[in-house]
Amino acid sequence: MRSPALAFGWEFRKRHAWPVIAMAVFLLCLAVFRLVRYVPGEPITVLPPDGRAAVVIAPLSWAFFYYLAVFSFGLSGNLGARQSIYPARMLSLPVKTAALVGWPMLYGTMTVAALVFATAVLARWPWKIDVPLVGPPLFAAAFLAWTQALMWMPYGLPAARPIVTVLWLAVFDAAVLLAAHYKVSEPVMLAILAPQIPLAYLVARYAVARARRGDVPDWRPRFMRTAAVAAPPPLSPAGIASPARAQFWFEWRRQGRTLPTLVGIVLPFELALFWIARDAPGLLLELLLLALITPPLLAAFTASTVSKANPDARDAYAMSPFIATRPLSSADLIAAKLTMAIWSTLATWLLLVVAVPLALIWSGTWPMVEQRASRLVAIVGMSRTVVFALLVLAGLMAATWKQLVQSMYIGLTGREWISKLTAIVALAFIIFIGPVVQWVVDHNSARALLWSSLPAIFAVLVACKMLASALVAARLARSELLSDRTLVTGAAAWVAVVFTLYGVLAWLVSGPLIPRFVLVLLAILAVPLARVSAAPLALAWNRHR
Amino acid sequence: MEGERIENGTHAGGSSVYDPVISVSRLTRRFDAKVALDSVNLALPRGAVYGLVGANGAGKTTLIKHILGLLRAESGSVRVFGLDPVADPVGVLSRIGYLSEENDLPGWMRVDELIRYSRAFHPGWDDRYAEDLRQSFALDPAAKVKSLSKGQKARAGLLIALAYRPELLALDEPSSGLDPIVRRDILGAVIRTIADEGRTVLFSSHLLDEVEEVADHVTMISDGRIALSAPLAAIRESHGTLAKAFIALVGRAAAPSAES
Repeated sequence: MRSPALAFGWEFRKRHAWPVIAMAVFLLCLAVFRLVRYVPGEPITVLPPDGRAAVVIAPLSWAFFYYLAVFSFGLSGNLGARQSIYPARMLSLPVKTAALVGWPMLYGTMTVAALVFATAVLARWPWKIDVPLVGPPLFAAAFLAWTQALMWMPYGLPAARPIVTVLWLAVFDAAVLLAAHYKVSEPVMLAILAPQIPLAYLVARYAVARARRGDVPDWRPRFMRTAAVAAPPPLSPAGIASPARAQFWFEWRRQGRTLPTLVGIVLPFELALFWIARDAPGLLLELLLLALITPPLLAAFTASTVSKANPDARDAYAMSPFIATRPLSSADLIAAKLTMAIWSTLATWLLLVVAVPLALIWSGTWPMVEQRASRLVAIVGMSRTVVFALLVLAGLMAATWKQLVQSMYIGLTGREWISKLTAIVALAFIIFIGPVVQWVVDHNSARALLWSSLPAIFAVLVACKMLASALVAARLARSELLSDRTLVTGAAAWVAVVFTLYGVLAWLVSGPLIPRFVLVLLAILAVPLARVSAAPLALAWNRHR
Repeated sequence: MEGERIENGTHAGGSSVYDPVISVSRLTRRFDAKVALDSVNLALPRGAVYGLVGANGAGKTTLIKHILGLLRAESGSVRVFGLDPVADPVGVLSRIGYLSEENDLPGWMRVDELIRYSRAFHPGWDDRYAEDLRQSFALDPAAKVKSLSKGQKARAGLLIALAYRPELLALDEPSSGLDPIVRRDILGAVIRTIADEGRTVLFSSHLLDEVEEVADHVTMISDGRIALSAPLAAIRESHGTLAKAFIALVGRAAAPSAES
């Protein structure tokens, strides 16, 4: 290996060969399957996505974002730091800055362009969907180049990197979509996109040159006064009176503010759209729903940080000795995480509960909401409307919390193979559920069969959940991670929540269409049990290897 | 403080003052094909400084991690204060001060936050002692841990390991990152103080001169096996110096650096 180009290429290939091989095999299988299964020209829609289109869209989207992270070194860097995330060990390599920037950018842009090109070819052949072959690959390459440039830039403030990067990429994306919307010709689109890559290269070169010099701007003193006002009050010795409170404080400081912050960044953009929906009640309803499902959606993304056993080391799966040697039981460590998730959820929803009505009032769309509510009151009555609204709010809050905690046991095991296997299974599920749903939608008999089998499906799911819960409870009791009293109290609390939910559901949707026992099954499925209970076991497995 | 804990020769937790603080019996651990610890037996009585020496990869850290309960014994048993550190992590860890070689203190914490956070876990935390240590280690309370130098991070870790006067202090390669003068001054004083108070210190190192200076008892470990475990005086009597003993028992190729 005698050239920097080969060395850079070798490192990318060595570390990320398997995902590339898996993607190549997938594309090959897809091509063969399409040749065998589908007739050329068979109608298929991409917008809105056909269930079968999801087979292509889901893995290729995943691959695209994976390559963005790989080639911008986002998998190993600290995104929130002021310093460049370009690997420090590479900054001292005896090569020019142009090489440090050029080779990762060249490999990255070629890879994503090839990926999108392959997707476009698959769409054109054999389905003959009219997808341009040059524009999208060029867009993908420019998108990656800008991601690299902005990720490698040193910033004056912590957390500025993700904000600047997301905003700039959103503007770039919107500009290209706008051009596509107005059907600009292919040459014009190319004229817009082609200069982006050299421009991004120049910005990246400037960024890496600064990083090599250790030139990191520091704007924090300018914001010191604001930060002092916004910062939480300093800890007093009495402020952390118990180990449990100390651990909660640790978890809150480490991960608790992530979800409220993310929602705080996204929400203003969503609420600003209320102003364009002043004469469109339907659109306003959709925007309102979008704002309300934002916390659970973003919670699903931030959940990975909650489950991270070693949040201070991005590549590590094992617990850090610092946390593992806290004189706390594994159950107490989990309790701190669960409590943090509750407060994180409450803080997020406080933001929403304040911001959404204000935005509705200021945008002049409040009367439209009032009108809808009055209509609902006229149909179902005031009490049911109020309970329904409270139930929706409570349900969304519970969903947010559930998203944060239900899968944390996976990351807490500290086993790389479990995390990766889970990701692959989830991806496979997303890939295959699309065609299945499409098949059900296309066949009336399948729809009828599914509808009549729903109670049985729910019953099987409940049986699986209860069996898993029983196994977890037995293991918890045997390992003495939780006392018998805690186990019994937890089980009683779970039963109480399930029956409360069932009572509310029965009151709300009483009718012959949905049998009562189905509501019981739904309530059992809705309240988390097995996966959350497995968290202490997972942590203990990681802590005592 | 010690008087409060000991009644009729029995410590809180049920162990007698005469029982070994650490008792390791036929402990074996494999990482894939590599045998990291091979039928290790060790008993550390209370109130002395034990040096655990060996080359890099000899098994020192693996042994200490078993003592802390971070690794589960594949075969054999580990007892600390008479307790199983895996089954009762709270009972064991609340009585151990530990300084990790990984220097993994949370970088986002300020030094004063680190102190107050650690304080919450230990009812016996001595505020005055902690402040004395902070001043003598010249740690700025407002400084973020990530902004500290490697040596300062080690000092901060040492502070939170010492400030509640643990019954057992486990230091895993504590010298890394400290310059020789500070290393000798601080570590020697700390270890001697702890031992003088009747507490027990277990520290691993590959610097034989450092071990020779402060340890009462030395355990040599090589390829996962205990090559020698004896009082330092006896080793000196039989071999002259620790370095000579190490070379004689473990071999020159595996000999760790002897700075003297």
